[in-house]
Amino acid sequence: MRSLVSFLLLALVASVQAISSSGGNRLLVILEDVAEKAGYSKFFGDLEGMRKSLPYLLPRPNVRVQAASHHLLIASATGRGFDIAYETPKSESLSLFHLGERSYDHVLFLPTKAKGLGPNLTPNILLEFINAEGNILLALSGSTPVPSSLVSVLLEFDIHLPTDRQGLVVDHFNYDTASASEKHDVLLLPTPGPLRPDYKDFFSLSSSDAPDGRERAGERVVAFPNGVGQTLGQGSLLSPILRAPSTSYSYNPKEESETIDDLFASGSQLSLVSALQARNSARFTVVGSADMLSDKWFDASVKKVGEKTSVKTLNRDFAKAVSGWTFGEIGVLRVNWVEHHLNEEGLSNASNPKIYRIKNDVTYSISLSEYSWDKYIPFTVPENDELQLEFSMLSPFHRLKLNPTISSEDSTTYSVSFKLPDQHGIFNFLVNYKRPFLNNVFEKNTVSVRHFAHDEWPRSFVISGAWPWIAGIGATVTGWLAFCAVWLYSAPPATGESKKKQ
Amino acid sequence: MRFLPSFVAPLVLLAAGAAQAASSWSFDDATVQVNAKKAAGAKEKFSETNQLSHPIAIGNTDSVKVLLVAKDGGKGKRPHQAFVVLKDELSGLEAPFPMTVKENGKAVVDIKYVDLPIQLATSTSPLKASVVLASFGSSKGLNKPIFSVTLKTDPNATPPVYEKPLRYGKREAIDHIFRADPKNPPKIISAFFVLAVLATVPALFVGWLALGANVSHLQRALRDAPIAHGVFFGSLVALEGVFYLYYVSWTLFQVLPVIGVVGAATFLSGVKALGEVQSRRLAGER
Repeated sequence: MRSLVSFLLLALVASVQAISSSGGNRLLVILEDVAEKAGYSKFFGDLEGMRKSLPYLLPRPNVRVQAASHHLLIASATGRGFDIAYETPKSESLSLFHLGERSYDHVLFLPTKAKGLGPNLTPNILLEFINAEGNILLALSGSTPVPSSLVSVLLEFDIHLPTDRQGLVVDHFNYDTASASEKHDVLLLPTPGPLRPDYKDFFSLSSSDAPDGRERAGERVVAFPNGVGQTLGQGSLLSPILRAPSTSYSYNPKEESETIDDLFASGSQLSLVSALQARNSARFTVVGSADMLSDKWFDASVKKVGEKTSVKTLNRDFAKAVSGWTFGEIGVLRVNWVEHHLNEEGLSNASNPKIYRIKNDVTYSISLSEYSWDKYIPFTVPENDELQLEFSMLSPFHRLKLNPTISSEDSTTYSVSFKLPDQHGIFNFLVNYKRPFLNNVFEKNTVSVRHFAHDEWPRSFVISGAWPWIAGIGATVTGWLAFCAVWLYSAPPATGESKKKQ
Repeated sequence: MRFLPSFVAPLVLLAAGAAQAASSWSFDDATVQVNAKKAAGAKEKFSETNQLSHPIAIGNTDSVKVLLVAKDGGKGKRPHQAFVVLKDELSGLEAPFPMTVKENGKAVVDIKYVDLPIQLATSTSPLKASVVLASFGSSKGLNKPIFSVTLKTDPNATPPVYEKPLRYGKREAIDHIFRADPKNPPKIISAFFVLAVLATVPALFVGWLALGANVSHLQRALRDAPIAHGVFFGSLVALEGVFYLYYVSWTLFQVLPVIGVVGAATFLSGVKALGEVQSRRLAGER
């Protein structure tokens, strides 16, 4: 009986939790020592929505359920509602999968000292986790070498780390004079704008996220202490979130403290925070500096080179944006519905017919919502960007901009009207909207496009070139009837000549 | 924050330097030289305040050698960061070339054309070179433009090709180009030929009349077999009427039963009517 009740409770909690965040809320944090989480208490507090952790790892299920439901009540009131489990790589019970299903929705790696991560976190398992649409946030540190299994995972994604698994990014021009006047390893960076003008801007923290008084761009500062820079390959799935300033460079503090023998990378080639969104929309983010997420640097006071006043860092908001993006709280698009119909007077305009005729006028609409922290909001395409509809058979015949037509509380409808091409065959209405930082939208609706039926062509009497032929038929008919009358009723002529035309 | 043994010595030195004054990095005795395959070019001097006025041109086998002495607060010293950075002004892309620096601050770098990243090697605008000298501690870093480099393209060599990597973004709009509608000749020409065709009907009638055609036996035929002749000729006209309706609106299966009825009437009345015509022929009246 008790087990039945707890099962029902579990099912209830599971269903409530499933809708609380679009990507699920089971978060696993891997760290060297579970006690280390105290250093990140603000970050985890924001994620959890609570200041103290809950006894999730208790073995008895009913206690776990009570804890979870209790947690839910509080989470809905204050925080982002993640269900955090803390583990060390050495833990034997640690497993990302249970019976072939993911045990966690997201994994957060904090720096660990060991060279490898053990048999439960091999590169292969991590890749499988990504393939199963799990999200990973990986935080590195300049003071501990990166575990080799994580280096292998990064190489799979074409993200490269300095040789010897260790590096430190310094910038002698943009450092924090208050805390790193000697080593220059605390970089102060303006919050990043959109990567390209047509990309959605999630990380500039410009709008309501920033507290008053810090609105000027120069004062919106993120501190990047003691971090490792990465270089990114050419792949289109990779995008840097935060790039290093042009005078910064990466060196190995162990071997290159005096001179740089072999420069790994410098300037904006160095990516400090990089993002990968896999084809299945799973997200993988590398944060070069784990300290960035620590309590010490949340709202820390820093002083730029050559400036007298110190400013507060926006690390807390930046950490929220980065973790929120990685864990599917922002930048998640949902297609609500797709509709297409005939757009011609006097004809049926039923929704989503299977067949159209060539040169029909057709209207296509798609409704999109965007998940933003805790709710769906209408999706607006960034300026300079377009949501495009392709009407394609093998290759696109039309590629048209979809314009917003109807906007409701939680969705925007984009639609376009156009004339079908004069080619019959099997066509697709295809919306293939892939952009960095937005999950992939791929909507394909197949329809047949037929030829004109024999009675849909213009009649011959409206074709002026056919008039002589129509007149010819008329003349023949008249001639034939006259001939019949003459043949039937003609009397022989009165004169002697008897042979006449028949 | 672990201080490694190798770190401490320079840091202490730098700290000592910083304690004296807020010093800054500078350079001296700076020259730039273009080394071609056959002969070395002339050395040209530049300084912090006085950058080269003319651009340096290099071909695809040449290299640029930059020599300078790095100084911290006037004394020759080795900075941790000593780069010559080439920047493409159009795209904003940069490539660093670390200098080899000796303890006394003498720094040298040899930038070969072939070492240029492809994005810079294919650039059409001059590349801007700047010197970056900086190190740990409180000394202020130096980041100054010094000269610009133009790339000579060799007409004999195959030009490097840079293929842009794929990036997600909006794509070019496509509007389907419809086949042109079938064209008609000018209506005046059609009308002329319509008239020409219609004119054959009166021409035919006039020809027949000239040959003596007439309908004088109509009354006799109607007297001898009035129903047969009426129905027979009427059915011929009706047949054409059915064809007309088929052209305008009827379908084949509306046409067929009507044709059947009209055809049967033609056949039955035709037997009688044509018999009457035969009787006139036998009477020698045709």
